[in-house]
Amino acid sequence: MFKAIVSRLALGMVTLLAVTMLIFAATEVLPGDVATAVLGQGATQATVAQYRKQLGLDQPAPIRYWRWLSGTLHGNFGTSMTNQLPVAQEVAPRLRNTLFLAAFSALIAVPLSIALGLLSAIHENGLIDRGTNVLAVFAISFPDFFIAYILIYIFSSRLGLFPSLATLSSGMSLAQRIHHIILPAVALTALVTAHMMRTTRNTILSEMSKPYIETAFLKGFGRIRVIVRHALPNVWAPIITVVALNLAYLVVGVVVIEVVFVYPGIGQLMVDAVSKRDLPVVQACGLIFSAVFVSLNTLSDMLALYANPRLRRGAR
Amino acid sequence: MNQPKITSMKADDIQTARRDFMVQALKAAGFAVGGSFFPVSAFAQGPTPKRGGVLKLGLQGGSASDSLDPRLINDSIMMVAAYALMNGLVQIGPGGKAEGELLESWESDDTAKKWTFNVRKGIKFTSGKLLDADDIIYSINLHRGKTVSPDRGILKPIQSMTKVGSHQIQIELDAGNVDFPYVLSDYHLLVVPNGFTNWTKPDGTGAFELESFTPGVRINLKGKGDGYWKPNCGNFDAVQILYINDTGTRTAALRSGEIDGANRLDPRTVDFLIRDPQLTVVRTRGTGSRFCFEMDTSSGPFKDPNLRLAMKYGINREQIIKTVFNGYATLGNDDILDPQMPFYDHALPQRHYDPEKAKFYFAKAGAAGRNIELVTSTGAYTQAVDCAELFQQSLASAGIKLNIKRVAGDGYWSTVWMKVPFCASYWGRRPTADIALTTALQSDSNYNDTHWKNPKFDQLLAQARVERDEAKRAQLYDECQKMVYDDGGILCFAIGDYLDGYSKRVLGNAPTARYDMSDDRICETGWFA
Repeated sequence: MFKAIVSRLALGMVTLLAVTMLIFAATEVLPGDVATAVLGQGATQATVAQYRKQLGLDQPAPIRYWRWLSGTLHGNFGTSMTNQLPVAQEVAPRLRNTLFLAAFSALIAVPLSIALGLLSAIHENGLIDRGTNVLAVFAISFPDFFIAYILIYIFSSRLGLFPSLATLSSGMSLAQRIHHIILPAVALTALVTAHMMRTTRNTILSEMSKPYIETAFLKGFGRIRVIVRHALPNVWAPIITVVALNLAYLVVGVVVIEVVFVYPGIGQLMVDAVSKRDLPVVQACGLIFSAVFVSLNTLSDMLALYANPRLRRGAR
Repeated sequence: MNQPKITSMKADDIQTARRDFMVQALKAAGFAVGGSFFPVSAFAQGPTPKRGGVLKLGLQGGSASDSLDPRLINDSIMMVAAYALMNGLVQIGPGGKAEGELLESWESDDTAKKWTFNVRKGIKFTSGKLLDADDIIYSINLHRGKTVSPDRGILKPIQSMTKVGSHQIQIELDAGNVDFPYVLSDYHLLVVPNGFTNWTKPDGTGAFELESFTPGVRINLKGKGDGYWKPNCGNFDAVQILYINDTGTRTAALRSGEIDGANRLDPRTVDFLIRDPQLTVVRTRGTGSRFCFEMDTSSGPFKDPNLRLAMKYGINREQIIKTVFNGYATLGNDDILDPQMPFYDHALPQRHYDPEKAKFYFAKAGAAGRNIELVTSTGAYTQAVDCAELFQQSLASAGIKLNIKRVAGDGYWSTVWMKVPFCASYWGRRPTADIALTTALQSDSNYNDTHWKNPKFDQLLAQARVERDEAKRAQLYDECQKMVYDDGGILCFAIGDYLDGYSKRVLGNAPTARYDMSDDRICETGWFA
């Protein structure tokens, strides 16, 4: 088990390194650079050249990459090329915000979707099953910004219950923060619940035709008990994988929600940085995103291993 | 609901009337330049402004990479914040007229080459330092020589700048320019103390000081109280600017009262906001982006002026404005100036959609049966693809086939613009007729994006630059615009209107002859009723 974790982590580090190279290469390939992007349409050749020189962009690409990498390994993420702020200082508060929103949404979405998935499996083809299915398809079919606008329209413009701007500021108490992020959290929940819920339901149902389940039924157990005690432990692995994927999505894939609710998260920062070719910021965001993916995937593999009785035995 | 709102009725309301009046008055009075003294105009509308309150603005036009370095400012949020913190050299008053700001007054010699500017006295920076000539020279020099400033070009004619007294400077140009004070009204030219470099916290002479700034999120400004030097200005205790780049969210926040002011309302939904009794909509007419399709006049199919004319007659401007801009745009007339600018040629007949003429010129160009390709992208301007599609339809009715090539917005300006025969592009407003025409159309300008070269035009332009007789200058500029209108490669079909929204409580938000949000100075001009 320990060996498995170490090799996983090592693999994760290699992945991260590869990602930084890919990001660097991608920003190099994009037309224009930070100088043309910041100075805009009105730039002349002279001003662009001057700006490039100021930022050290006249150096060849491998040297710039190496400088950035060695800085990062020493814990120095560099300064933003556009507003000269330290990258760490710029990223940290936004990362906190993103994690806060993701954690809060996950707290709602994960228990909700697994419970609904179980309920649907228990009442297969019943009213609850069909109802949740319809709702889930409904939620997943609408684009995220549309759901967000509908929520703003109903709960903010019409009812005045929640603010449409989820902008957090430093003086807010936890209760105020939660009040501000309820609408984006609900929108995110609507987006990720369907996937997790349907996976839970379908994996359980596909397990139901197995002989050991039939045996359990023949023993005279009720449907609820069979599903919760017999089927569920064997299907944790795929459910955990899907949950992990959705958690990662909550961290990295919510730019649109951030924009609509004016939530100062890291997604918007990365989009701004890419459009300005602000490489240190892009790299920092990219590193964080890939770290989230790698660690959540690793974690889900471990948990799946632990949750599945057969795999657990095999690992010993 | 029962009372119509003064500043917001859909078309010709009092504000517009007021503005038209000012333009008329300006024309009647003649357009004074050089050797004249303009006092700072009180921006207040009617009653004396009240003090107090925290103004919350939700604005578009900024990102997490914003900086308050005047050399890097290029969008609305930084402009609004910068004008709250700092002052410019010269400001544009009602009717597009140059007025003294930190440069109080000026005069020039007969050749308009040598200019003397008087620096306003008794003005304090946030740090407490008193403004003098050295600060002005330093602040202008930030944009000269080896600099990243986009003003490097327009300030290039400055040959020398010398301090004459503690509050007087002299500027010598390499060639005469009657409009030189207008050049100094550019929004990048903001004043900081001599030697100042800490752009994360600018030290300015504005009505506010910076409390906190998180690029891409918010800006908090604190009022300086009674200390501000402009009469009736700087009335808010504090200003909070939120970055709200999503138009739907900005509108919702304005309606729910979470913000008191928003810029760039969506023309397609603004009619609903006008009906809201809690809100005021302020429309700044025809000073926004000049939306164009541009043709390369030096090579390719558009070398033939007849084909250019075919395109100009083949576009249905009215339809585009009605459909794409919901009526909130001003008709373009293939000119780079706008009707609010001094020296705009109002006598040029407005070009309308005329399929017969389009057909005629198309045949005359010997292009019958040929396909024309137009490259467009939402990266040129948001509506560029919609406009191109309508253009395609109106040309089709004239029997001309237009192929639309839609490309990604990313890198549009470096890979498409000025590199293909026909593409979407836009021009922003420039401070003077001279700068606008020179930048866009003079033969050796770097930005002559239609590659249009006309020695006669260049000569007229140079002549106008030093002509001190107002009427004669107007004639010269009329002639220049006529040439562009008939022969140029710029097909300008619409000029954007700016639409700002405010809570009813906010006053002091009249439209100006330049930018939206009261020329981006709403923080200092506004007040709560």
